[in-house]
Amino acid sequence: MLFWQILIDGFAISALYALGATGFTLIFGVSGVLNLSHGAIMVGAAVAAWAAASEFGVGPYTGALIGILAGFILAFATYFIAVRPIQRSKAIAESEKEIFILTATLLWGIITQEAIAYLFTNNAKTVLPIVEGVTTVFGVRTPRNEYFTAVICWVAIGLLWFLVNRTRRGKSVMAASMNPRGVTLLGIELSSIYLTVWAIYGLLAGVAGILLGMFLGVSSYSVGPLTASAFSIVVLGGLGSVSGSLIAAYVVGYLETGTAYLISPAYRTIPALLLLVVVMYLRPQGLFGRR
Amino acid sequence: MPNFVTSRLFWIGALTVIVALVLPTYVSGYVLGLLTVAYYTAVFAMSWDLLFGFAGEVNFGPTFLIGVGAYTAGILDAHFSPGLSIWLCIAAGALAAVVGGVVLALPALRVSGPYFGLTTLVAVLMLQNFIVVAAGLTGGEIGLAVPDVISIDAKTNYWIALGFMLVSGAILFGLSRSAIGLILQASGQDKIQAGALGFNVTKHKLAAFVVSAFFSGLAGALMVFYMGTASVSTFVDVGVGVQIIIAAVLGGRRTVIGAAIGAIFLIGMGELLRPLGELATLIVSVIALVVILFFPDGFLGIIRGGAKA
Amino acid sequence: MFSLKSFLLASCATALMSSAAWAADPIKIGVIAEAQAVAGSSIAPAAQLAAEEINAKGGVDGRKIEIVVYDNHSSSAESVRAFQRAVSEDKVNAVIASYISEVVLALEPWAGRLKTLMVTPGAASDVITQNIAKNYDQLKYTFHGYLTSTSLAGLVCDAAKDLLVEPYKMKTAVIMSEDAAWTTPLDAGYEKCLPEIGLKVVDHIRMSPDTTDFTPIFNKIEGLKPDVMITGISHVGTQPTVQWKSQQVPIPMFGISSQATNSTFWKDTNGAVEGVFYNAVSGPGVAVTPKTLPFVEAFQKKFGNFPSYAGYTSYDDVYMIADAIHRAGGTDPDKMVEAMEATDYVGTIGRIAFKPKGDPNPHALRTGKGYITGLMLQWQSGKQVNVWPKELAAGTITWPSFIKLKAASN
Repeated sequence: MLFWQILIDGFAISALYALGATGFTLIFGVSGVLNLSHGAIMVGAAVAAWAAASEFGVGPYTGALIGILAGFILAFATYFIAVRPIQRSKAIAESEKEIFILTATLLWGIITQEAIAYLFTNNAKTVLPIVEGVTTVFGVRTPRNEYFTAVICWVAIGLLWFLVNRTRRGKSVMAASMNPRGVTLLGIELSSIYLTVWAIYGLLAGVAGILLGMFLGVSSYSVGPLTASAFSIVVLGGLGSVSGSLIAAYVVGYLETGTAYLISPAYRTIPALLLLVVVMYLRPQGLFGRR
Repeated sequence: MPNFVTSRLFWIGALTVIVALVLPTYVSGYVLGLLTVAYYTAVFAMSWDLLFGFAGEVNFGPTFLIGVGAYTAGILDAHFSPGLSIWLCIAAGALAAVVGGVVLALPALRVSGPYFGLTTLVAVLMLQNFIVVAAGLTGGEIGLAVPDVISIDAKTNYWIALGFMLVSGAILFGLSRSAIGLILQASGQDKIQAGALGFNVTKHKLAAFVVSAFFSGLAGALMVFYMGTASVSTFVDVGVGVQIIIAAVLGGRRTVIGAAIGAIFLIGMGELLRPLGELATLIVSVIALVVILFFPDGFLGIIRGGAKA
Repeated sequence: MFSLKSFLLASCATALMSSAAWAADPIKIGVIAEAQAVAGSSIAPAAQLAAEEINAKGGVDGRKIEIVVYDNHSSSAESVRAFQRAVSEDKVNAVIASYISEVVLALEPWAGRLKTLMVTPGAASDVITQNIAKNYDQLKYTFHGYLTSTSLAGLVCDAAKDLLVEPYKMKTAVIMSEDAAWTTPLDAGYEKCLPEIGLKVVDHIRMSPDTTDFTPIFNKIEGLKPDVMITGISHVGTQPTVQWKSQQVPIPMFGISSQATNSTFWKDTNGAVEGVFYNAVSGPGVAVTPKTLPFVEAFQKKFGNFPSYAGYTSYDDVYMIADAIHRAGGTDPDKMVEAMEATDYVGTIGRIAFKPKGDPNPHALRTGKGYITGLMLQWQSGKQVNVWPKELAAGTITWPSFIKLKAASN
């Protein structure tokens, strides 16, 4: 019984982590950007979905769509306000662009977070679930929303895989992540690839944020922890490796869930942090990193 | 030209110090209290700049060092007061931070870039978890009430903070302009080449961590005895670290002094905008973002730009 | 210099214009609160309302009351800074501070150091008043304007006896509380009083206030098959409530849930709070005293929502401070403390009096018959309905669909 409980709950939360981390790692893989406003985009999408439903009375589907749209807009805003000006800046040395993008996206995340807190207070919000009720599998009563979350996450990840491996546009994105200069030689505009990637990222982060809002609830306080957890998962899996991120998401998700059930909910995050430290010391490029 | 810039910097610095020295005669205790916090934050930012600007290490965890120093001092005082002088507690805090600095330096010598950044972030999260779990010792989420304070007199606190900031600033600035600083800068930009030139990069980096940790911890411990309380949200939270990084980048990296200016600016602006309530943080962040995007060399860069023109 | 001069002139002019109405300089009360948090957001508006009412009736001995508001962003450090600013810059005569025990504990020594009267409208930790007992001369400036955690635990047990144990023959309970300053004495109180009313405590779960996923906690509690969950939550609220509903945990939540006291909680949780019980000192529609309903009405008219629990107490605190200043004949801090200690005032939450020096909890509110008795409310179809004590009850218990309970026939 306990075994099934951990298996089912861990699966849903890990799927959510995986979806959140996938977009994050994709952006890094293609453009070398660590987007520290990640958590803010997820929370922004969820709060938009909540506000649409509770302030303007739209249904859960319309609410979710508005939320995804918000994620999309926020992702583009991040790119145009905090990333592209630095990438194109001549005043900043190449070697320092990394820290500048980190700081700028961090600031942009704080700005988004504060704006959310100002407009909607920092109380936790929950998005109206699309699927309600519970279902019992293997003697474990689980909200249907949890299964729904896992399914949507995997459908989204599957679509991404299809896009990257089976479409022309996707292939050029993939190629760009391996060799940006080579792609430009082929006559593909790098900046249009960046736009594609940020669009995909906005969708993924938006969907992840809304699912999180339905499953657990979010508040403007969640911004920092969400960014930190995506960052940890991505580094654990190896920066830029999508499959590494997926596996790392499951490792972290199950470690947390297992700890919460078997030891105490108070120690939930500690083993995953310890694992991260150990991996950093023994294998700094992450579990599946290319470097 | 470098001479001109240096002298211009020097004069601005001297002017600032004079203003700081005569200020207590003219302003209220509250402004002094605010500046006291700003000066300690300035030391946090300068210590961070030494690590990032010169050793090239992206440290997301300045609050790990600050927190270790602050909590060590606070816990000692809370458990042994009044048997233990607060100055001993402060010294112990600084020492503990140095130990923390060495622990943090170990991965830094192996990994770099975002990987090291994450390690330092994890260090902060671990410390935060430890403080919450060991609530009996640390006061947990609640925060630790420290029975003693250095003084309740705003002027005394102001003088201590100002003196401390000037002394640490002078030492950190001197260090950054010395041979050690240059070697650090070289190794931050190209580790292999610096090693090939025969410099012991490891030793110098370790030294940078130790110095940065010492001043961070000392400032943290002093601030505990100014506030009379130690809490995660004041000394350890990632958000506090973010403020420090923003302060250093805003003021101008690799200048040490710029970091201090950035810190004082951030705290001062936060206070000036306080009437706007919840919007204050938002506006400060927007200002910081604008500076970073349009004046990447920060405030000191703007001043230097003026010098060029 | 010139601008300073004109500024001074301008402010003199303003002072002159209003001095027609006001005899002397105003009484300033600082309010340090959490503007963005559910429970804290009512503190400043409620104080403002009380001040306006007092001023409309001529103020205190001809002096106007001015409220100076500081947002502390739920942080102890910002609160300490705000307190310093309030006393040395804005020269306030008293401070109303926070619903978070951590914040009040950090401010308590400062109230002593700066000799400024401080009342908390919402913090609950017993340690606040225990500190006063240990070091009365230094810390006597702090007053606890809300119930201590131990008193709260006692009130929850009293309500559980009448509402759950007797009609539903409940026998077992699990305590679920967040790890925070105020819950340590609360949990100790629960552990002591629950067995006394016939509820065996089968487990005691403390979780971090940062917890977002409550699935493991609820599953664990469900595995223990208790009849009821006794809660002690304040920093968390929305998330456990929503997950309780979405997982359909068939065990009632009963106890203290600070966020549930606020009228916006229904919206924040999309109605998941249906059926949740929470303790409070006042509630919408409950005439605890003749002052309660007029206050709620005025608050709602002015701010468009109902006050949180700390709003009621904050409103009363302003009246109490005004009354104490009147009796002390001025704003000398030590005389104000003496006058506050002699308070006997009927406010919105009941008859308020403080425990004296020498009590283990000096400056804590007196509770029990004749003083403050507390209420137990339940969220029912979007409304907060009082269900206990009987003489003030506005309705009876209902259960959400996933909780199948029947009252024993009697």
